Amino acid sequence: MATQSLIPAGDYRTTYAADTTIFPTAGSRYAVWAGLALLCCAPLVLDRYWLSLLIQIGYFAVAALGLNILVGFTGQISIGHAAFFGFGAFASAWLSNNYGIPVFFAIPLAGVMTTAVGLIFGLPAARLKGLYLAIATLAAQYILQDFFARANWFTGGVAGTAADAFSIFGFSFDTDHRYFYVVLAYLVLTFVLATNLMRSRDGRALVAVRDHYLSAEMMGINLTRYRTLSFGLSAFFAGIGGALYAHYLQFVSVEGFGILLSIQFLGMIIIGGLGSIMGTLMGTAFMVLVPEAMGWITDAVRGSALDRALSLKDNLSFLREMAIGLVIVLFLMFEPDGLAHRWRQIKAYWKLYPFSH
Amino acid sequence: MLRLSLASATVLALAVPALAAEIPIGHLADQSGATSDVGVPYAQGVADALAYVNRKGGIKGEKMNVEMVDYGYQVPRAVALYKKWTGGRDKVAAIQGWGTADTEALSAFVTKDEIPYISGSYAAQVSDPTGASGKAKAAPYNFFYGPSYSDALRAMLMWAADDWKAKGKTGKPKYVHMGGNHPYPNSPKEAGEAMAKDLGFEVLPAIVFALAPGDYTAQCLTAKNAGANYAYLGNTGGSNISLLKSCKSVGTDIQFMGNVWGMDENAAKAAGEAANGVVFPVRTAAVSGSTAPGMAMAAEISKVSDAAGTAYRPVHYYTGICAALYMTEALAWAKDNGGLAGPNVRKGFYQKKDWVPAGMEGVCVPSTWSPTDHRGMMEVHIYRAKVSGPTDGALPDLMKAGTIKLEPVKTVTLPRKSEWQGW
Repeated sequence: MATQSLIPAGDYRTTYAADTTIFPTAGSRYAVWAGLALLCCAPLVLDRYWLSLLIQIGYFAVAALGLNILVGFTGQISIGHAAFFGFGAFASAWLSNNYGIPVFFAIPLAGVMTTAVGLIFGLPAARLKGLYLAIATLAAQYILQDFFARANWFTGGVAGTAADAFSIFGFSFDTDHRYFYVVLAYLVLTFVLATNLMRSRDGRALVAVRDHYLSAEMMGINLTRYRTLSFGLSAFFAGIGGALYAHYLQFVSVEGFGILLSIQFLGMIIIGGLGSIMGTLMGTAFMVLVPEAMGWITDAVRGSALDRALSLKDNLSFLREMAIGLVIVLFLMFEPDGLAHRWRQIKAYWKLYPFSH
Repeated sequence: MLRLSLASATVLALAVPALAAEIPIGHLADQSGATSDVGVPYAQGVADALAYVNRKGGIKGEKMNVEMVDYGYQVPRAVALYKKWTGGRDKVAAIQGWGTADTEALSAFVTKDEIPYISGSYAAQVSDPTGASGKAKAAPYNFFYGPSYSDALRAMLMWAADDWKAKGKTGKPKYVHMGGNHPYPNSPKEAGEAMAKDLGFEVLPAIVFALAPGDYTAQCLTAKNAGANYAYLGNTGGSNISLLKSCKSVGTDIQFMGNVWGMDENAAKAAGEAANGVVFPVRTAAVSGSTAPGMAMAAEISKVSDAAGTAYRPVHYYTGICAALYMTEALAWAKDNGGLAGPNVRKGFYQKKDWVPAGMEGVCVPSTWSPTDHRGMMEVHIYRAKVSGPTDGALPDLMKAGTIKLEPVKTVTLPRKSEWQGW
């Protein structure tokens, strides 16, 4: 991991508060505020296609953040994250459809319900590690998916269920332009939450469990508690992300939450950077945008001289799928520490320019 | 680093898609999902027909800008695509859809947004535009070309009841519904079982087998041990092939009845002798090799994607053509009568009775849609797949040699009973 610090020489910290600040420099703080302000203007300038991509990045990032807490910060593994994402989606739809709970409250409640489920499935984590735990979470994936397909009362069975649009005081957030703000609010909230969690005593305990569980135990950290807690936390974020997804599409189907999505979540955090909050967002954006970018490129190539010369025709769409895989493989080969690492290097480059060290 | 930033900026700039101002049409296709075996030829038929109409000048002089997307038979992807197509300034004038689960999921959306949606799903649940039947929600913007899954099954059960008598067998024949636990195979389950009971069948508990190819020996043994005589296969070709092969090796004596997507020339070739004798409904009045007048235009359309004109087109291809052409004629009517807004296009479907798209006589079955009834046709053409030898070799040769044949068995015209609507 790159550890180049951007703090100017001579800038000494004299309090713990100053040392644990989220934004080490004023520049980074202003940049985040400016970025947020820009995002708030996005619905005014972007069309629905771009907004839908941003919304997609938003709800996936919230869920991926949960997985990063589990995998990146605590060092556990889970290949059942999509099932928790799905549980949150169904739970939120179920609460608002059957109990008349406004969607506004159903989303956090769905997060709480998913936490409970996550804690149950996290229990093996107290005993299992590595590949054994991976298989246990795979079981969670299949158990929950089967539950979704059979529990008609909860999920509508294989036919799926409708989910109401998000609304406050009768004002419905049923278009992409409006729903964008809902997702943005949740994204900011959950990212601030996770950042603060990692600065807290419990967050440091999680990192200690990851770095050396024996040392952590000797320091008095309750391994069982923190490993299970990590699953609960991870499920909470997955549940919130799932609920946001449900009320965006306004329809939830068991088909959306397969093992493939679980792997994609892992891809998001690995590409973004394990153990990096900002990296989670970058990795999610990467995973959402790469297939789209490949789509634009194939559209541009279709019918062009290149297409005719190689007579690609229908094979173009398959080339697209393969290219997505290739991009990811190349990325992992040349950027194994994730986008967050690259971002730190870019910042260091500009900071030190024209010198390289 | 500078170069990297520049390069990525260039890629981004190049990647911005070009915009075209024509009649936007959405086309959902399954080319990689669980139903892609039949989704590919159907989507090709739709795409070729729309491209052909464009070549001939489009909709009254205005071309269609068709966006075909492979959604992999995943409902969430279909919903996301729908949202993309219906937002902003380039809202689609109509959508060519596909699966039952996604058609049902989108039904409420297309009603709200008033987007005519021509589906590849013939679920009876989306055939009631007013909801007056009380058996399904109102689906005023859903259309499909073909008999509903339930009506097709009813017709096949009528045939089966006659077949049982014709074979001189006594006692109650046993009927079993087989298919994946998915909205599409489940769609005609209740209607079929109710009809079977009425016709004097003994109805056995349904047997589930997955919508994807696999080993279905266990399911075949269950059906064999239960003594099933007639079985409905609710899945598409690929998984049905596996089941038919498993059942052949188990040695069952069951008359299988596929649904409209359950059997075609490719499936008969893949299943070989296991497919021999399977009956299934065909939605067009002609299949490849027929001499119906409309086949000339179908051949022209086929040349859009196969300039040499040698490709063999299975039944689903012709169905795709018909589904697309009904839509373009409704669009053309709307353009002349107040514009391409959804409610107008919908009205376009109601203008004629027993209607065949121009040039497709003898291929598309005359269909009628009305504001109160979206069951386009009550006519069910039942065919039997005949396989009389090894099916190695190219499909066109096998069809030419008669190793694989699609034999018309019976055409059943069902009464347009109001109590059958919506289920």
